[in-house]
Amino acid sequence: MSWISKPNKTTRPIRLMLGLSPLLLPYLVLFCGGAVLTACQSFGVLTPLPHAGGVLDAYTTLLRDASFFASFGFSLWVATASAFLAVAAGAFLAYRVWRLPGRLAPLSLVYKIPLILPHIAVAFLVLIFWSRSGVIASVAHSLGLIREMHEFPNILYSGWGLGMILAYTLKGAPFAMLLALALLARFDIRQIQTAAMLGASGIRIFFTIVLPRLAPALHTGFIILFLYSFGAFDIPYILSESRPGMLSIHVYNIYFKHDLARRPEAMAILTLMFAFAVVFIIAYSRAVSRLENGVRKL
Amino acid sequence: MDLELRRIGKRFGHRTILSDISFSVGASDLVSIVGPSGVGKTTLLKIIAGLETPDTGEIEFSAPLTRENPVIIVFQDYVLFPSMTVRANIGFGLSTRKMDKEMIRKKVDRMLEYFRLDAQADHYPEQLSAGQKQRTAIARAMVVNPAVLLLDEPFANLDRNLKMETARFIRKTQKEFGIPTVSVTHDLEEAFAMSDQIGILLDKRLEQFDTPENVYFSPASADAATFLGPVNRIPVELIHHFLPASAAGGKKSLTVRPENLEIAPGKGPGRITEKTFAGHYFAYTVDIEKASFTVYCQDGGFEAGQTVTLKLKNKNKETP
Repeated sequence: MSWISKPNKTTRPIRLMLGLSPLLLPYLVLFCGGAVLTACQSFGVLTPLPHAGGVLDAYTTLLRDASFFASFGFSLWVATASAFLAVAAGAFLAYRVWRLPGRLAPLSLVYKIPLILPHIAVAFLVLIFWSRSGVIASVAHSLGLIREMHEFPNILYSGWGLGMILAYTLKGAPFAMLLALALLARFDIRQIQTAAMLGASGIRIFFTIVLPRLAPALHTGFIILFLYSFGAFDIPYILSESRPGMLSIHVYNIYFKHDLARRPEAMAILTLMFAFAVVFIIAYSRAVSRLENGVRKL
Repeated sequence: MDLELRRIGKRFGHRTILSDISFSVGASDLVSIVGPSGVGKTTLLKIIAGLETPDTGEIEFSAPLTRENPVIIVFQDYVLFPSMTVRANIGFGLSTRKMDKEMIRKKVDRMLEYFRLDAQADHYPEQLSAGQKQRTAIARAMVVNPAVLLLDEPFANLDRNLKMETARFIRKTQKEFGIPTVSVTHDLEEAFAMSDQIGILLDKRLEQFDTPENVYFSPASADAATFLGPVNRIPVELIHHFLPASAAGGKKSLTVRPENLEIAPGKGPGRITEKTFAGHYFAYTVDIEKASFTVYCQDGGFEAGQTVTLKLKNKNKETP
């Protein structure tokens, strides 16, 4: 007598789905449900008030609004500048920390402090230090570098979003360091020794030997930091300027400070931001993949 | 450029790794330092390269080392730059010298041709075989005309049948480029085949430093002899069985390699107790009185139980 065990093809997918349900259910209900509801409301469907206009009214209004494009451009600038600076500073600092003598390595843990600080705390730190009545302005005044406090450059509200860029960079650099250090932990120091023997300077070694090795982590870090800065609300709420404002502030104002009839507009901005994020990830990954000779896979 | 190491010593914590190491390398010499794993060969190489500092002693180069003529070490696993092609790897040292791009291209092309890497010029290291990786690493070092080239276990990652071919290639290349080279290895056959001088590193010390032939046939000590392969020790009271009476007089005990003994047929004091086929030779165990001797020879016509005479083929050093 013999038994042949045959897999039950009909029950296997069901079992698989049940196994994945702790992950899938929150994803489907909270994320997909939220995204669908947002998109619906942007078309005037399922809105708190009956929508009288056309399906694409909210989008038409937005695309005719110059302030929307100004906010979009400003958000893009702040996100790009802060993510780039955070990743660049993180990569450089990670390399310096990695090269520290063993006995100094424990001290380098100080870089993790900004990681545990909430974004809002970092925003206040930037405000306290860099505003015209802040610590640095006071020190400059005490040292006689400026005669009056108001002579201190208006860094936070210069129209370039420098306060937000500074805050996001302070918060993002340790995150980029963490990613880079994970790769450096497995990096062969003999690569650097060989390059030095072949006559390469420290700067050349960093850019031609170390940086390509860190590239995968830095690209991932850039995508995460860029998208966070692009859409986050907390730091812009403290440090943003009015015109142009960040998109997140724009959405907040329409959602909370105007009547319910403008709800589709707010949802249309959120939908466009989500679509932009998806397009950005695909385009960035493809560009990097092409640059890295097909090594990177999304 | 030649170099001289004088009384080099190195400790890691309380552990002595190297002690009193002295030897010199001529301007066009290829020197191999052989020794068992963990004896400090790579540490010695790193000291010559300047990657480690000796605790005692000094290294003198006949001309000062410069950025243009450095000491370069080719590591055991080659340490090619993974994000660069073979061409970029070989040209890396030249590009750091701010050389004209056309000049770099010509020099790299010459190297690619000499090292038989033309077809792999645009390949990345992960696409290369171990032999190709090694040739790329040596080409990358040679192209900058180093003052001294250091090879760390150059045969360790190669297939058995590639090792001897590589040893010959390294010797040919070294002679052609005329760069003083120090190699550390535990592959003895290959070290003998390619080296002008061999140093035996045993128990932290350089036991012997001499030509390959002298090192092999005239080992400085019993330990050096044993490290290089099986040896027979002929006690003084049995020497007359191996040498004519006139030659045997006054001799102390002898150390003899198995391939340096010869079996002569006919009645003699020896009796074959074991015969083993070992590929390109036969290994015989021959008993004379209470001592056993191993003999390697290509004649498979002797059988166990046969009585024979053993003779010395070459002159051997008397055991110290």
